[in-house]
Amino acid sequence: MSSTEPLQPNRETRRDFFSRVSDGLVGTAMAGLLSRDVFASPAVRETHDVIPRRPPIDVPTKAVIQLFMTGGPSQVDLFDPKPALKKYANHLPRELLDSVESVGDAHGLLPSPFEFRRHGASGMEISELMPHLAESADDIAVIRSMFTTSFSHESAVFLMHSGRTFTDGPSLGSWVVYGLGSDNENLPAYVALDDPGKQILLGVQNWQSGWLPPVYQGTRLRTIGQPIINLHPENRFPGPVSRLSRDLLKRIATAHRDERPHQPDLDARIASYELSARMQLAATDALDIEKESERTRELYGINDKVTASYARRCLMARRLIERGVRIVQIYMNTDGSDNPWDHHGDLEGSLPKSCAATDRPVGALLKDLKQRGLLDSTLIVWGGEFGRLPLAQGGNRPGRDHGANGFSVWLAGGGVKGGTVHGTTDEFGYEAVENRVSVPMYHATILRLLGLDHERLVYDHHGLDERLTGVEPVDYVADVIA
Amino acid sequence: MSRAADRSGISETQLFTNVFHYHCIVCHGKLKREAGLDLRTRASMLEGGKSGPALVPGSPEKSLVYTRIAADEMPPRENIFGNNKYVRRVRANDIEKLRGWIEAGAPEDSEEVQSVEDGGDTLVSEEDRKFWSLRPPERHSVPDVSRPDLVRTPIDAFLLEKLEEKGLTFAPDADRLTLMRRVYFAATGLPPGPEAIEAYLADRRPEAYDQLVAKLLDSFHYGERWAAFWLDAVGYADTHGKTNRDEFRPWAWRYRDYVIRSLNADKPYDRFLVEQIAGDELFDFRSTNTLTPEQKDCLIATGFLRTAADDTDETGFNFAEYRMAVVNDQVQIFSSALLGLTMDCARCHDHKFDPLPQRDYYRFAAIFRSAFDPYDWRVPSVVIYPPPAASVPVPYQRLITHPGDASPAMDRHNQRVSEQLEPLKKSFEESRSRLVQKLRSENLVSQEELDNHGTTTKNLLQISQRVVLSLDDGRVALRDELQSMRLALESQEDELAPLEKRFLSELKIYGVYDLGGDPTPVYVLNRGDWRSPTKRVAPGVPVAIREGIESFAAAKPDWDTSGQRLGLARWMTQPNHPLTARVLVNRIWQHHFGRGIVGTPGNFGETGLRPSHPKLLDWLATEFVRRGWSQKELHRMILTSTVYRQRSLVDEPRYQGDPDNTCLSRFPFRRLEAEAIRDSVLKVAGRLDLTPFGPADEVSVAGNDEVKVKETGEGGRRSVYVVRRRKTPVTMLELFDAPRVMLNCLRRPHSTVAPQALQLWNSSMMRSNARRFAGRVRAAVGGDVRAQIDRIYLESFCRQPTRAELDTGTTAIGELRQYWMEHFQKQGLSENADLAALSAYCHTILNSPEFLYVD
Repeated sequence: MSSTEPLQPNRETRRDFFSRVSDGLVGTAMAGLLSRDVFASPAVRETHDVIPRRPPIDVPTKAVIQLFMTGGPSQVDLFDPKPALKKYANHLPRELLDSVESVGDAHGLLPSPFEFRRHGASGMEISELMPHLAESADDIAVIRSMFTTSFSHESAVFLMHSGRTFTDGPSLGSWVVYGLGSDNENLPAYVALDDPGKQILLGVQNWQSGWLPPVYQGTRLRTIGQPIINLHPENRFPGPVSRLSRDLLKRIATAHRDERPHQPDLDARIASYELSARMQLAATDALDIEKESERTRELYGINDKVTASYARRCLMARRLIERGVRIVQIYMNTDGSDNPWDHHGDLEGSLPKSCAATDRPVGALLKDLKQRGLLDSTLIVWGGEFGRLPLAQGGNRPGRDHGANGFSVWLAGGGVKGGTVHGTTDEFGYEAVENRVSVPMYHATILRLLGLDHERLVYDHHGLDERLTGVEPVDYVADVIA
Repeated sequence: MSRAADRSGISETQLFTNVFHYHCIVCHGKLKREAGLDLRTRASMLEGGKSGPALVPGSPEKSLVYTRIAADEMPPRENIFGNNKYVRRVRANDIEKLRGWIEAGAPEDSEEVQSVEDGGDTLVSEEDRKFWSLRPPERHSVPDVSRPDLVRTPIDAFLLEKLEEKGLTFAPDADRLTLMRRVYFAATGLPPGPEAIEAYLADRRPEAYDQLVAKLLDSFHYGERWAAFWLDAVGYADTHGKTNRDEFRPWAWRYRDYVIRSLNADKPYDRFLVEQIAGDELFDFRSTNTLTPEQKDCLIATGFLRTAADDTDETGFNFAEYRMAVVNDQVQIFSSALLGLTMDCARCHDHKFDPLPQRDYYRFAAIFRSAFDPYDWRVPSVVIYPPPAASVPVPYQRLITHPGDASPAMDRHNQRVSEQLEPLKKSFEESRSRLVQKLRSENLVSQEELDNHGTTTKNLLQISQRVVLSLDDGRVALRDELQSMRLALESQEDELAPLEKRFLSELKIYGVYDLGGDPTPVYVLNRGDWRSPTKRVAPGVPVAIREGIESFAAAKPDWDTSGQRLGLARWMTQPNHPLTARVLVNRIWQHHFGRGIVGTPGNFGETGLRPSHPKLLDWLATEFVRRGWSQKELHRMILTSTVYRQRSLVDEPRYQGDPDNTCLSRFPFRRLEAEAIRDSVLKVAGRLDLTPFGPADEVSVAGNDEVKVKETGEGGRRSVYVVRRRKTPVTMLELFDAPRVMLNCLRRPHSTVAPQALQLWNSSMMRSNARRFAGRVRAAVGGDVRAQIDRIYLESFCRQPTRAELDTGTTAIGELRQYWMEHFQKQGLSENADLAALSAYCHTILNSPEFLYVD
């Protein structure tokens, strides 16, 4: 068992940091600006900042892109082929029914209407619905034996994000930034890109920092219009007015500070205005996919109505990662539902739509990162909050109800052993049976790939050393790590 | 494990909690006894109901509790996930265990209730009880100091003692206006206006400052300011919370008003606590016909026990485990806010650092069981008064606590809701009749069916859905048209329904009330898992807290209430209680000085920080109680002390000798809280609407995702009246560290981040209020620029500008005017460049640190 000494890598004290700011050794006080110091007693006085930190374990991975598939993608139709379903089509095994909670409209076992083929040197089986992803089969590691403890969307989404089924836990991204800080001075370290058209399930709570200090909270960058709230005013001042006002503010603020020695917060306040001006440029530039070549845009599917929305976000994610953003979460939506993968009805008609909207952009993201040499340092994780039952739900044009006991996710890039298939479910794909992977294990694996030991990434909360993976001891999944 | 478990594989205890309590007693329990059957205990099963005994030991096939469940008849299918019952099917292996238990003769567990009150708990030693915060506060004598002339209140002597040890002393008093601005914000959360400044400057009496403090503590704004901190501590929100819908708690604001009212009346803190913990047990409210204002307040006060996020009103979130989570949250709020204990740590195991055995957690939680029974649950929307039996709605005027209080705000709220409702209703009715007409004109539905089944909107929507599905491909156009009409009606209905709920036609009281005792038993849960009950416990308080005080006992009155919470309230409000007064005075101190004497306001335990000035903490706690638990007296002692009046300048000796200001060798320079910033902006803009109380002001989400307070003709009310939504907190308030309500917040973080600058510099709220500020200044002092700057400095910074500042300002305004003129000419606009220039100047002033910080 590794040491449980809390991880507080390379922490500078607040005063050290700001004394350097005041001396001008740090060109701008950016890191401090995104920081919040707990304005209290000595033991909790440490600065909560986003100064970059080296992880305790040496790894190539620097950043994460999480492709969150809200709703619960169906494992037996995408990554976990189950020929037995054909044999037992329409049967309703009693032991399965017993553990299924909402039985009202459950019908018999439903074979997948989609074909699987083997891909790459690894021969990984992937559904025909994901042809673009399949081209990168040798770069991804599928975990077929995930299970979760909740079958309702909200608590399961919380669980996948924060390891807790309720609202107050910090999300994975917050933990990652808490552990690693930021590599970009002009952009938030933790970015969420959600569907511009629709409110996604749980909204901003997906990237909340919970009881971690708010500096670790994710920032939603809007992919249409202004990326950040009030990045620009509604009605701009004429240029000279704007410049003069800023100059005047700086003069007033500087004089105010000069009369008050040893108030580092005032330095930070002044610098926050300078940073906000730089952010206007940096954030706008990072999301400006017009700057990409036509070839790249075509690769992602920007020009195709079906893929455009998700493609834009994938491409923006790559641009953000290139600029040192630590973690980007991408959410999706399809028309009419806030759970795009929640295929209770008409599996045959609707699952292909969700796949069509995402497959090409996701495939392009993997290829694009690879050809730019960024895949080794960027971890991609794909998955929803649970999977689906192998049973049919509803009679006419059936779908599948939520299934929490066995589902698939995949990881790729940064440190991942490509071409791996880890774990198995039972013959129907109902329940993970071999090498079962719990949500905390999954989180531990992601942290490990980033060079963080989940047992040592702790935060003192109400006197408890809290961690993302909770109190029960868990291991990471070594099998998927190269 | 008990003997019973050995024979049947499950203990009676587990069987009852996991099967009967979980699945059955919602219909067959204390409140509902369908078929005359009560399944809460083995004895009541043997007694049975209309169909005879439910349990025949030794014969599962003759036992209705087994046969009906095994046949999947119970719980009834329609109640599974529905019917407001929210039960699940009984698991197959639980059914097997039930069978085994009956076959084994339905053995009873020897259910000894663990008693720890008398003999003490072996897990807590005498040594444990000696921990500083578990001993009653000691009254230390006020220390002698070498500079008695600096001692204005005894507080000063305690602080000086420590400063003098370090060779330091207090900093000189801040100048009069600096102090005036500071104390205005501290007491009321608002800056002083020009008239108040003038009057204060004119008052040259030595007691002028003390008089000012007295005036501010008497101001109505005092209660508004300090209520916000109390609401943080108890986790107050206007919405339920955990799910996306974030439903309103339409009457939550009555609790907020109660807090403001109580603080302004300087209600003694012990009474304040008793009302909130057990107001419903103070009198027999169910037998009281007309409540006095004080009695109404007692009921409203119990809203304190329903602040936790709670979605059990909603389908899918009303299972026992969710209810338990609500109770856990509430216990955590209670123990951290009032007792400074990290009690939640003891939910799954004995507390690792403090003498809080796991059973103490469950004993403590058991006190609330008679009001808060996860197996026999009151959803948060249950009204405690007027009783549901009252069939005629009581007009709200009759339920107003204090005549006049919330009425204007209520009327205005309702008027606004009506204004939004009317057009919606109209277009809804139009859509509805269009749809009906279409269905009839195409002869798709008979008039008879519409008359019989289509009277409610829900049914009409169902009928039209059926029609849509029945139309074949030959009638695509009609199908599409009907479908879009149907969807339009549905979305209008979705918009209308929640708005209709916002119209407050009668006044209700939410909170908790005792169900008369005899709740389901409480067990210690192994690892906190509700499926693993172990030992049964009786209500009690942590055994570690008993030195110098009377022990806890239920205070059962002679009407139908358990008296458990009343007993708790009485136990906590003993003058000598080691935690109650200490925790509160510490938090008040923290709000004045940025840091508590104990730096961890919610953790007075081993892992919390030790008090920086233990004797002072104890002196304050005992003095607070001596002065009748008066919060205003406590504020007065602090605000009139020398330590409070120091200037904030950090000179070198102080920086070297007391770098973090733990000794308070100067006043801590600080940024204003979120509410004070917003309220100040509104005030200088002449847009602060002082209407008190009532339904919260609503927010809207702007096109750029900014959550803004909805503007009205009068401007905006103080931030304490802005709705606290868990999901969509007001952007401006959240950016400046107002807590996002999750559990509760005892100390706000302090941040300086770039999005704050974006908010203050670019938001339309700041720009429009800067314009209004400029307009007010021109109206007050006319067109003379130097007079304008004078006025702007006075209102924004509470001081005169220096000559240099006047010069800088005059030059800047002149240049700004020039730029604006050029701009307007270029655009062909006939705008007023003077006003535009002054607005831009005001905008800069509102962004300046001096506006945002307090010296």
